Amino acid sequence: MPRSETFPRVQRHAQIGSKPSIDSISAIKCEFDFQLKTANTRMRAGCGLTYTCAVAAFAMWQSDVMMKLIGCRTLDSARLQRLAFVFFSILSRILAEQEVENLSGLSPNPDKDIFVVRENGTTCLMAEFAVRFLVPYDVLALNGIDLITEQASIALPRGAEIEGKCGNAEAEVQISWINDAYVFRLFFVKEVHDSSKGNDIWKISKVQLLYDTSEKTHFINAYNPGKHTASSHRLSALVTPAGQSYECQAPQTLTLISTDHQKGVTVSLSDIQIQPFDITSDFTFSPAYKCITDQREQLEELLPLILGIVLGLLIVITLSVYHLHLKMTAHQPQLPRDRSLYKNILQF
Amino acid sequence: MATLIRGKISNKLSNAATSVSNKSQAKVSGMFAKLGFQAATDEEGLGFVACDDLDYEYRQGMQMDILSTDGAGGEGAGGAAGGESGVAEGDSHYQREGTGPPPSTSKDGGVCEELAAKDNPKITAWEAGWNVTNAIQGMFVLGLPYAILHGGYLGLFLIIFAAVVCCYTGKILIACLYEENEDGELVRVRDSYVDIANACCAPRFPALGGHVVNVAQIIELVMTCILYVVVSGNLMYNSFPSLPVSQKSWSIIATAALLPCAFLKNLKAVSKFSLLCTLAHFVINVLVIAYCLSRARDWAWDKVKFYIDVKKFPISIGIIVFSYTSQIFLPSLEGNMQKPNEFHCMMNWTHIAACILKGLFALVAYLTWADATKEVITDNLPSTIRAVVNLFLVAKALLSYPLPFFAAVEVLEKSFFQEGGRAVFPDCYGGDGRLKSWGLSLRCALVVFTLLMAIYVPHFALLMGLTGSLTGAGLCFLLPSLFHLKLLWRKLLWHHVFFDVAIFVIGGICSISGFIHSMEGLIEAYKYNIED
Repeated sequence: MPRSETFPRVQRHAQIGSKPSIDSISAIKCEFDFQLKTANTRMRAGCGLTYTCAVAAFAMWQSDVMMKLIGCRTLDSARLQRLAFVFFSILSRILAEQEVENLSGLSPNPDKDIFVVRENGTTCLMAEFAVRFLVPYDVLALNGIDLITEQASIALPRGAEIEGKCGNAEAEVQISWINDAYVFRLFFVKEVHDSSKGNDIWKISKVQLLYDTSEKTHFINAYNPGKHTASSHRLSALVTPAGQSYECQAPQTLTLISTDHQKGVTVSLSDIQIQPFDITSDFTFSPAYKCITDQREQLEELLPLILGIVLGLLIVITLSVYHLHLKMTAHQPQLPRDRSLYKNILQF
Repeated sequence: MATLIRGKISNKLSNAATSVSNKSQAKVSGMFAKLGFQAATDEEGLGFVACDDLDYEYRQGMQMDILSTDGAGGEGAGGAAGGESGVAEGDSHYQREGTGPPPSTSKDGGVCEELAAKDNPKITAWEAGWNVTNAIQGMFVLGLPYAILHGGYLGLFLIIFAAVVCCYTGKILIACLYEENEDGELVRVRDSYVDIANACCAPRFPALGGHVVNVAQIIELVMTCILYVVVSGNLMYNSFPSLPVSQKSWSIIATAALLPCAFLKNLKAVSKFSLLCTLAHFVINVLVIAYCLSRARDWAWDKVKFYIDVKKFPISIGIIVFSYTSQIFLPSLEGNMQKPNEFHCMMNWTHIAACILKGLFALVAYLTWADATKEVITDNLPSTIRAVVNLFLVAKALLSYPLPFFAAVEVLEKSFFQEGGRAVFPDCYGGDGRLKSWGLSLRCALVVFTLLMAIYVPHFALLMGLTGSLTGAGLCFLLPSLFHLKLLWRKLLWHHVFFDVAIFVIGGICSISGFIHSMEGLIEAYKYNIED
């Protein structure tokens, strides 16, 4: 069964509760390697070691089976498969030493998945996110006349097929599963405003989802089943400075208009890290550009600390001022109000 | 001969006249002395002298006489003519009756109280009223329409009934402070709730009752303080969701605003805050009731129910009943009043006002929104009014904080920080009556402690419901009736005994039901949190 590795960028230590999928040997081997090397360091995950250990484990297997078993979302033309594996096995030795510290634990998010487009032996597009689709479709009501709108919640399964195309100014990635019953496409575009100033940005220009309502697992008793396409209209999302990857923990929602009676399909992306252009080294993200919601959350978390420190300083200043004030104004021995305090005076 | 006789008669008459005028003058100046006005000598000198018995008797013979008469309970023997004879009379009175020491202690206490009056001024009945109103008209008034939603007319009746019961328990608690002396007059022998508890457990466990009441008081007061911090943080957070300031940050800001409470010295300053708090509460009431009246056409009179929702109503009982808890503050309030005999009047009027306002508010708000009434009524308001009401609520929460804080500080200082080895730590106050620096730092530490609890304890409202049903019910219903029965058993009429027993039973039931429902709520909240 095809299996994917997850390459989390999370800041937390590995959580054992999340589920690696059950591709036994590669899983075990990789986990063994995980335990040996990861410990408690926080790390930026590279693809490196996970791929390499999977590759190393199956170095002796046939190439076609290998492709599916590893489940790396890699795109290789059929003729280059062997060369790629030879390359991989060599790479695995090298990367095994170099990128040990890039490994992080399994992602706690079971929906999160990584999609990589490779061209010419190098990665040109990497996308990592968890996505959920809410697709409305029509169902015949019990009276046989009315149509009720139901909603199907679709998640990306493991082992989807990835195709993609990279370019200098445009890139796209296409993910399909269940024999092309569902196809999810992301289109990126890079805009060069003023090359001298470096104001280049890249963004998502179009999102598309093709779905087939005759597919039985998600669409139950759909009325007039057929294929439909939901596309975005004039979308400009995930705007990032060029040369950087986009990172956002908070969920982002897009609405696509479907050809099925203009229904609105909701695409909810979370835990995103995407880079469609300018990937410098294999399987590594460039420095991340955080989305505004994350920045705000960071600020929200930082603010109590700052305020707490200010409050502490305020208290210390107040106490010291009061203490000085007491010392300054307490020259004369005050006559006690209560005779029982006379003994304090008479003690000398 | 006739002239001689006439002369003697006129002498006698003039002597009598002077003696009467002197006596009245002495009475007046004695009254003035008691009120704190120093007649002739300067304050410092009089203070020093006053604390010394002999000097005092020498200089103020008549006054000592008058005060000794008052203190010893009406001899009325004083009346000498003129100063010297007065002194002689007073002296002989002093020596003969042997009433020197008791009047001297009471007079000593009385005159020293005058001196202390400038550090610890007495509060008027109005100020005591503001304090009690601050305690009984709290933030929970916002949950009352929801209680009516689930309780119907029974909820309204309960509001009135709880006011009556709490007024009665407050009065019997204060009655426990007094004892009749041998002359049939009521004398204040106990000073605080702790003293009453100690007196009740006196023969076998002289300090156990005091410890129990101390712990309950401290828990209740500190939890109230923490609740105000939580509420103000929550309200500010809900009022400005667009700012990147989280609820924790708002709580810290609120605590910074509350830091000056550490400098509170006496009840008079606290009463000023309570007055402002009452004004803010009044404004909130007026705003909400005015808005509801503007929608009077849509009132749903037929929706007020006669039956109750058995699952949800017990929580409402808790909200209604425990909102009238002011008994913790009553002993110290009554002890600081200038005229303690106005206490009963003040209690009556504050409870009547609270009852009317709460009932009106709850009924009117419920009629406006009927089934859509939310747990906190401000959620039903349109957003402009809600913003204004939220701001006033925050102001009210911040202004309500000084009273429980001051009471908590007093309780802590009395139990842990006393002079002369009576308690664990030395006195917080220096010889001149000013707060020592480390006393101030302890108060600041208490403020910071309330802040930390407000930030880090989750589901605080439920926790407060839990402790409130134990300590609040105990201090408010169970203990006053118990102490009243124990201490004044011989003087109680049958209907007093009946009321006390009934209140004890009802209070026990409310406490147990509140405890069970709070535990259920807490368990559910934790399960939901863990599943999250």
